[in-house]
Amino acid sequence: MINWWILFYILIFPGFLFCLVAAFLLSGIDRKLVARMQKRIGPPILQNFYDFMKLMGKETIIPHEANRAVFLAAPVVGLLALVTVVLFIPIYRFSAFGGIADVVVILYLLTVPAVALIVGGAASGSPYAGVGISREMVAVLSYELPLVMVLLAIGKKVGLALGENAVTFSMANIAAYQNLFGPLIAKWSMIPAALAMLLVIPCEVGCHPFDVAEAETEICEGPLVEYSGAPLGIFKLNYYLKMFVMTALFTALFLGGRGTGYIALDALVFFLCCVCVTAVSMSLVRAVTARLKVEQVFKFYWTVVAGLALISLVLAWFGL
Amino acid sequence: MFRNLIASSAAKSPWLFHINAGSCNGCDIELVALLTPRYDVERLGFKLAGTPRHADIVVVTGPVTAQSKDRVLRTISQVPEPRVIVTLGSCPCSGNVFKGSYSVVGPLDKYVPVDVAIAGCAPKPEAIIHGLAMATQILKEKKKGAKA
Repeated sequence: MINWWILFYILIFPGFLFCLVAAFLLSGIDRKLVARMQKRIGPPILQNFYDFMKLMGKETIIPHEANRAVFLAAPVVGLLALVTVVLFIPIYRFSAFGGIADVVVILYLLTVPAVALIVGGAASGSPYAGVGISREMVAVLSYELPLVMVLLAIGKKVGLALGENAVTFSMANIAAYQNLFGPLIAKWSMIPAALAMLLVIPCEVGCHPFDVAEAETEICEGPLVEYSGAPLGIFKLNYYLKMFVMTALFTALFLGGRGTGYIALDALVFFLCCVCVTAVSMSLVRAVTARLKVEQVFKFYWTVVAGLALISLVLAWFGL
Repeated sequence: MFRNLIASSAAKSPWLFHINAGSCNGCDIELVALLTPRYDVERLGFKLAGTPRHADIVVVTGPVTAQSKDRVLRTISQVPEPRVIVTLGSCPCSGNVFKGSYSVVGPLDKYVPVDVAIAGCAPKPEAIIHGLAMATQILKEKKKGAKA
């Protein structure tokens, strides 16, 4: 006997349909915002959807030296992992899947798209992709440390407040805490962690100042250099989805709260929060900065961002 | 339904790849000027692609020198179908002042079918936008033709 709700969750509401619509809208809004910040008119909000549909209809060229199966499977694996993450992120009081340690699951699933990019790039056999994947690995190393520290700080804070006396790894607990005590961003000891998380988002997504792996002006879009047609479209979709997943994670971790009780309204408020987070953490930063070098990215994340996360972690450990 | 959607999306999201075939850099500057706030072709969906594999429209500038000919042809052949080839400036469509030089083997349409030729030395940005807009329509026609 299949539980039909699970199918509904996976395919429609927090799963595929909702994710794709949200991702296209969010990334379109991001492009529009950047354009307005640069005094341009900018593309239509649905531009990324047109890009995706166009790529679906293009010829797919598979290079001679590529490993065909891996080359084609990599983007799909990344896509599936990202949609799975959304199932674990609570939208106020609603959560499709939950568990005792879903924070750990999210953490692992979030690395899958990056690994898919690395594997796909490696399978394409291009030297540009080789440079790109080495940079992507460095980027993953840079943002993983602060991300884990932020999650630990939140886990400790919530665990202490809910009387578990241990770090909690449950998104449901984090949502329940914010339901009781208000959003975590309003707690002063968590503000450095929120800043760190805001800085982790652009690197995780791979957007402008931290897009060292896909630097289109120096290494021809790195791992994506040999991709064309539908697989490229799915990789682009992964990029838009990462944008939504990371902002959704931020919203669930820091901007939670009581919610309205109606799922549709909650989802709308949740999406608007995601738009605000995108505007602050990605559009604004993207519009005013130039790309960093890969060692600068690494240094920045392991000193400034990790430092911010560490402050929150220490404060949380002392019960503040 | 999807066929029409894909064909109309093809016209709305043309990604450019720019090849310099021995140009004096004048046309190249004019092309990049299109991306600035003043002209902003991104509002029509244009984007400069980093690699020929991502491109829909190939923009060639310069009179096609003997050195660059093979590279230009190899790059164009790496662009997935449907693709549109645009020549920018007078050089690739006639040779311009370099015509008859020992090192110039152009014009480009000796080697590949050119869809749109934007003349001028260098063409005005408005002329380039007009030419590229024509190219997007050709892209759409090609997409429809390929499916039928």
